[in-house]
Amino acid sequence: MTQAEVIAKLQTIFDTVFLEPVVLTPAISAKDVPEWDSLTHISLMVSVEKAFNVRFRVGEVENAKNVGEFADLIIKRQTER
Amino acid sequence: MDTAPLKAFLLKNDPEFWVQLKVLTYAARDFEELFLLSSLRKKAHARKLPPANLPKEKLRLAILGGYSLYPLHELIEHLCEVENHPLELWQGDYDNYISEIMDDDSGLYTFAPQVVFLLPAERRCTYTGKLTDPRQMQQAEAQRVVDSLLELARKVNEKTGAEIITTNFMLPARHDLGAFRSRTLGSDWSFRKWVNLELGLASPAYLHICDWAFLAARHGGLTARDDRAWFESKQPCSPALMVELAREAAHLILSLKRAPKKVLVLDLDNTLWGGVVADDGLEGIELGDTSPRGEAFKAFQKYIASLKQRGVLLAVCSKNDHAKAAEPFEKHPDMVLKMDDIVSFKANWEPKSENIRAMAPELNLGLDSFVFVDDNPAEIEIVRQFVPEVTTILLGPDPSDYVTQLADCRLFEPRNITAEDAGRTSQYQSEARRKALEASVTDMGSYLESLQMQATITEFTPVDVPRLSQLINKSNQFNLTTRRRSEAEVIAVMHDPACVGYSMRLQDRFGDHGLISIVIGKKNGQTMEIDTWLMSCRVLKRQVEEEVLNELARVAKTRGCRTLHGIYLPTPKNEMVRDFYGRMGFTLTSESDAKREFELPLDNFQPIPTKINITRRAYDPS
Repeated sequence: MTQAEVIAKLQTIFDTVFLEPVVLTPAISAKDVPEWDSLTHISLMVSVEKAFNVRFRVGEVENAKNVGEFADLIIKRQTER
Repeated sequence: MDTAPLKAFLLKNDPEFWVQLKVLTYAARDFEELFLLSSLRKKAHARKLPPANLPKEKLRLAILGGYSLYPLHELIEHLCEVENHPLELWQGDYDNYISEIMDDDSGLYTFAPQVVFLLPAERRCTYTGKLTDPRQMQQAEAQRVVDSLLELARKVNEKTGAEIITTNFMLPARHDLGAFRSRTLGSDWSFRKWVNLELGLASPAYLHICDWAFLAARHGGLTARDDRAWFESKQPCSPALMVELAREAAHLILSLKRAPKKVLVLDLDNTLWGGVVADDGLEGIELGDTSPRGEAFKAFQKYIASLKQRGVLLAVCSKNDHAKAAEPFEKHPDMVLKMDDIVSFKANWEPKSENIRAMAPELNLGLDSFVFVDDNPAEIEIVRQFVPEVTTILLGPDPSDYVTQLADCRLFEPRNITAEDAGRTSQYQSEARRKALEASVTDMGSYLESLQMQATITEFTPVDVPRLSQLINKSNQFNLTTRRRSEAEVIAVMHDPACVGYSMRLQDRFGDHGLISIVIGKKNGQTMEIDTWLMSCRVLKRQVEEEVLNELARVAKTRGCRTLHGIYLPTPKNEMVRDFYGRMGFTLTSESDAKREFELPLDNFQPIPTKINITRRAYDPS
């Protein structure tokens, strides 16, 4: 999967979780989305892991600075399987 | 789960949102589903789309414990609110529960909770010494864990009067220690099992156990935990188990507020047996050990019988010819349920909704305490529509799942130990101690002496009337004449100058037996006829009979009588006292199948010595 493909799939997950539409770009991050708080974050990560069939390692999600880096992390964990 | 329609309702500010939210909440199994529903619920509040009938009064719930309680609190709040019990929440700080409880000035007490949900830290429920330490040492530490939790609960309850729900401890699901884990109390596996068991058994009535160990076992030990979620955000368990934990907590919280169900209304054909009895006949229905389906239906009946034993009332509601529907109950050898088990039997052609509605006044119970089970969706639907107060369960399609479907519906769970249960326990325990003592002393005389029995004898008094009438109407075995009397008739005896009536109460050093024997005598010239003599069988062989006779002789003499006239009227149940008067020294004067009569002259009567100390006598002037 390319980063763009991952972001497109992430978009469908975000559309489910958030009421107000959010257009995902590689540069966007949690602080740009009012609904994306620490509580929603837990639920979002559970959904992402299920959708992409990946498991992140402890602490690494919080190191991703924006959606682009997060997508790269997903690709990294996907290819490792 | 498709939440698009729900979101559409929300964006249109359509109150149908709340109806859909409830339906989806029931269906949600995954953490992210339930969490999303909760988020949408909060957004609906923010958009001022409040549900029409949500009570203003909120239940004040405090959650505290050794974990991050976030987002667990969110799920609990959601589950309670969709059940129409909105919560006002107070959350303790992470792992601060001990000081929050011990500190009289903590925010917990300012909040004044009605219910407290406590999740004690599992890392404090571990043996810190060596695996090979003496068992007594390990057990003492486990006991300290239990005691400190009980003490926390006691303190909160004493300060706030709140009901307290505490989780117990998940067991480890790792192979560590191997077979040795079961051979020492020092392993977490054994230590926590011991603590869980002791905590549950020692909990006072205000403390309810949220059985986390059970939930984790049911869910699956390996997927119950999530170490990453612990390291990252101090979550108590995996997201999947958190859903189960939240549902259990909400269930316990709501159980404190909701009356339990009391009546189980049963369909017959393809519910209690396979097939249609009116078509297939008594021999044709599937029930019993001759076929797998028959076994499944029989197992379902056995489970229903166990519900009856717990106190659930059973009723039948079937579209059927009455005689044909009743036939299996009367004649089928594999029927577990009998006619006697059914409090209301409605087999006719009226709509089931009407039949169930009619049961409520019959049983003097509200419709909201009824549960109806049927394998036919159409019947379930008609009851849902026309008697919405009744909870319905659609069984099927496989009868081997029926027991699970009913056992997991969570409608008939026993609540807390009642005072009555507690009383029964203490009666049982004192009986056990009494028996142990009986076994330890060699002769009956010294046994009776060691009981330190004390009795009071009281003439009939207005305050005793209900108890007297009750015992008169239920005693069967030790009852010489089995003459029943209503409360009014007992009062009539009390006021009749020709009658004497008294009762005896007995206690010993193990407990109080209460009112255990009743005598009514009728004076006829110089003879006192013993109209009634009965005794509770619990106190057989305790010399109560002798003391009752001593008193009868004394009272009769004070009324100028010289003879006691005893009567035995046989019934199918009172064979045990057929020769009672003979054993007490009376002489048989006449005998027929219907009656035996006896006499005892009083002139030379000497009171029979006993080990009972009589502290008050009937018609006692003092």
